Amino acid sequence: MISGEAYRESLRDGRAVWLEGRRVPDVTSDPLLAKSVAWVASTYDRYVDESNPMFRVPMTRDELRDQMDFLVGADRTATTTAGCFALTTLSPSLRSLADSIVARDQRMAAAVDDTARPVSASPRADGGVVLDGGKQHVLGAAVVHELLVLAGDTACAVPVGADGVRILAHSPAPRADDDRHFPVSRSSTISEGLVVFDGVVVAPERVFRGAEAFQETLRLWERARAVAEQADRAELIMGLAQVISEMNGITAVPHVRDKLSAIAVYAKMCRAGWDAALANAQVTAGGMVSPDDAFLCASKSYGSQLYSDMTHYLHDVAGGAVVTAPTIADLEHPVIGDYLRKYMRTMSEVEGEDRTRIFHVIRDLFADSFGGWDKVTNQVVDGGMHAQRMATLDAFDLEPARRRARAAAGIA
Amino acid sequence: MMTGEQYRASLRDGRRCYIDGELIEDPGEHPLLRTAVTSVAGTYDRFYDPAPDAFHPMYTIPRTREDMDARVAALGQSDITAGTTAACMALVDVAPELGKLRPEYRDRIYAFFEWCKEQDVRCSEAITDAKGHRRKRPSQQDDPDAYVRVVDRQSDGIVIRGAKLHITGAPLVHEQVVLPTKSMKPGEEDYAVACSVPTNAEGLHIVNTTNAPRGEDVRHFPISSRTNMPEGLLVFDDVFVPHDRVFLDGETSHAASLAHALGLWERSNAVAYSGSSADRLVGLASLLAEMNGAADRTDIRDRLSEMAIFATMCRAGWEAAMANARTNEDGTLSPASLYVSASKFYNAELHGRMVDILHDIAGALLVEAPTMADHDSDEIGPDVRDHLAGEGGWTASERLKLLHYVRDLTADTYGGWIAVTESLAGGGQYAQRLVTLRHYDLTHAKELARKAVGL
Repeated sequence: MISGEAYRESLRDGRAVWLEGRRVPDVTSDPLLAKSVAWVASTYDRYVDESNPMFRVPMTRDELRDQMDFLVGADRTATTTAGCFALTTLSPSLRSLADSIVARDQRMAAAVDDTARPVSASPRADGGVVLDGGKQHVLGAAVVHELLVLAGDTACAVPVGADGVRILAHSPAPRADDDRHFPVSRSSTISEGLVVFDGVVVAPERVFRGAEAFQETLRLWERARAVAEQADRAELIMGLAQVISEMNGITAVPHVRDKLSAIAVYAKMCRAGWDAALANAQVTAGGMVSPDDAFLCASKSYGSQLYSDMTHYLHDVAGGAVVTAPTIADLEHPVIGDYLRKYMRTMSEVEGEDRTRIFHVIRDLFADSFGGWDKVTNQVVDGGMHAQRMATLDAFDLEPARRRARAAAGIA
Repeated sequence: MMTGEQYRASLRDGRRCYIDGELIEDPGEHPLLRTAVTSVAGTYDRFYDPAPDAFHPMYTIPRTREDMDARVAALGQSDITAGTTAACMALVDVAPELGKLRPEYRDRIYAFFEWCKEQDVRCSEAITDAKGHRRKRPSQQDDPDAYVRVVDRQSDGIVIRGAKLHITGAPLVHEQVVLPTKSMKPGEEDYAVACSVPTNAEGLHIVNTTNAPRGEDVRHFPISSRTNMPEGLLVFDDVFVPHDRVFLDGETSHAASLAHALGLWERSNAVAYSGSSADRLVGLASLLAEMNGAADRTDIRDRLSEMAIFATMCRAGWEAAMANARTNEDGTLSPASLYVSASKFYNAELHGRMVDILHDIAGALLVEAPTMADHDSDEIGPDVRDHLAGEGGWTASERLKLLHYVRDLTADTYGGWIAVTESLAGGGQYAQRLVTLRHYDLTHAKELARKAVGL
C-alpha cells in the first residue's frame, strides 16, 4: 500500500478545485484543504505495510464490528470508500473497478445528492456516457481519487482529475494562523464539495447499470458510521462533562449530578442502539453483513433529538470559559502566561493549562465552526430528525406489535 | 457626547490588551477587533448630539413603562457595550440601600453615573471571578486571589488583586465596573468590593477572545463580520482604586445586592430582546421552508407552529416582566425578577430545540454552501448560480445569503458564542430556577391548593 507522502503526490493530478472563489492549484498546500489531506495521509501511513481494512467487505458480525471500529477511528474518506466497496456485493460488475482501486490504494467518494441541476447520463455509441449536472454534499471530493456518481439507474466511476469535473470545496477547518486552540478540527476535518460535471465523458468499463439499489446501501453505510460515531461522541460528552465538573469542583452539586446523569443515560442509550444494531446484523443478498437498520434508524433519531440538550448541559457545567478561555499562544506569553495559569487553575490538583485545554476541546466540538458543521451534518443524515423518525416507523416490525395489542385486548 | 472618531481616539490610552498571545497596539486597527470598534463607533455617531447637555438614552434612569420602552428601543439600535453600560447604571438601583449603609456610597454612585453620562463613556460588567474550586468559599480557596479582593487599604483608596472572566467588550470600554460575583459572609470582607477601574489603569491586563470571523473575505459571515465583540479576561495585578470610585468595601451583607441588581439588568437585556430574536428564528425557518419548496408540508408546519409558540411565549415573558415592574424609593423602575428569570430560563432551555428545527429545515447545505466569493467568481460563479437556484424563483445569491446568515447565527463561531453566553449570562439555568422559585408566590399557590382540596 502507498504511504501518506505518495498519497499527497497522487493528488497533484491537475484536479480543478476552487475554495472561496479562488482556484486551488495544489490541494496539499492550501492552508485549509491541507488539513484534510494530512488526516487522510495519516491513515495511509498507518496501513502502509498492510491492506487497509476499508477494502474488506464484512461477511461476519465480528468482521463488521472490527471494520466499524476502524472506520470511526479513521479519516472520513475511509467510510466513503468502504461504502462504495459494499456495493460490490450488489453488483459483481463493480469488482474489476474495486480491484483496480485496491491495487492503486485509492480513496472514493459517493456523489449522490443532486444540485438544482441534476446529473444526467447521456449514452454514447461506445457504451459509455456523458455526465452533465451537479452533485452536492460530496464528502472528501477534493481529496479522494474517484467519484462514484449515481444518476438514476446508472452509476459511473469518475476520476477527480477528469476533464469537465469542477469541485467547489468547503472546509470546516480552523482558519487561525495558530490553530492550537482547535485541538480536534485542526487535525480531523474533511472538506466537502459541490461537484460540477460539465460534459464529462465516462468510458464503458466505468459505467454500471442497475444502480437503483446503490443509493440505499450507501445511505445505510453512512447511517451506520453516524450511529457508531454518535455512541463515541456521546461518551466523549460524558467524559468532558465529568472532567470539567471535577476541575470546577462541582461534581457533588445536585443540579450538576442531574445533568451528568442525563448525559450518562444518553451515552448509554446511544451505545445500546449501536450495539443492538451490530448484535442484530443482517446478511444481505450478496453475503455482506450489515447492521440492523431498524436499530440504526431509531438510534440516529434518538441521538439527534437529544443532542442539543446534551451539549447545553455540557456548556452549563463547564461555564462561560467554553468560549472565552485564552489560547495556547496566550499561555506562552511572557507577561500574561503566568497570570492565566494562575486564574485558570481551580485547586492544587488542577493545572490552569490542563483546564484551558479541556475548554478548547469543548468549544471546538460543541460551540464553534467545526462543532456547527459536525452537528448539522450528523443531524441531517437521512433527511433530518423528522425523516429519521419516519424511517424508524417504516423499519419497525409492526406486525408482532399489532398482534400483541390485539392479544392484550382480547381481539382475534 | 463623543463622536465615533473621538471614541476611537479615546481607546489609544495605553491600555494593555492582548489577543492570541500578542499585545494590541490599537484596538481600532487590529484585524480581529476593528470591526467591533467600528460598531461601537457607529453607535456613537448614531446617537451623537452636539448639545452640551445631550446624552445617550442608556443613561436615562427608567421611571415609567414609556422610559423603559424607549431605552429598549435605543439599546436595540446600539452595540453590545451600550447594553453593558446600561446594566452598570443599575448601580443606581441599589444606591438608596447602600446609602443607608454609608451615605458616601450613594453619593459616589450618583457622581459616577453623572460622570459617565457627561463623558459619554462605555462600561463593562466585571462580575464573574476566576472562582477557583466552585464549592469553596472565597476565603477557603487554595489561592486567595481566586476572587477579586482588597489587598491594601490606603488613605486615598484601595488596592485590588484577582481576575474577572467573560467580560464582554472589556478592551473597548472605558471603565471596568467591578462587582462581587456572589454573596459574601463575615470574614470575607476583603472580597466584598465594588468599584470602577479605568481600562488603562496601572496593573490591569486584559486577555481577549473574539467571535469575529477570520479570513480576508468575510462576506459569508453576514452577522459576525458586522457585530462581533471581544470577551476579556481581566487581571488586576494590585490595581489602585481611588475612594471616589469605590462603591462597596468590606460590607459583606450587601455584596449580593450589587450582584443581584446587575444580574437582573443583565437578564432583562436578554429577555427584552428574546421575543424579537425568536421572531427572527421563525422568519428564518419560514424562509428556508419556502426556499426548499417545503412550506406546505404538514411536518414543516408542525415545527413552524412550535417555533411560533416559542416566540410568542418569549414576548409574553417580557410583557409580564414589565406589567409587574416595581419602583424603588428613588423612583427607578425595574422589571419583575420573577418573570425575567422564568423567561430567561424558558428561552435558554428551548433555544437549542428551535435551532434544531431550523437546521432540519435548512439541510446540509447550511454548513456547506459556497461562499459569496464563489458566487462572484468569473470562473465558477456561473456554476454556483446554475446549481444553487432554489424553488419558487429563489436565486442562488438569495439562497446563499439566507444560508450564510443562519449558519453564522446558529452553526459557526458566533452561533456557538450565542448559545453559550445567552444561556450563562446573568447566571446559568439553575440560577434562573432558584431566582424564579424565590420570587414565586408559593403562599398564594398553596392557598389555592388548600381551597381546591378543601383543607
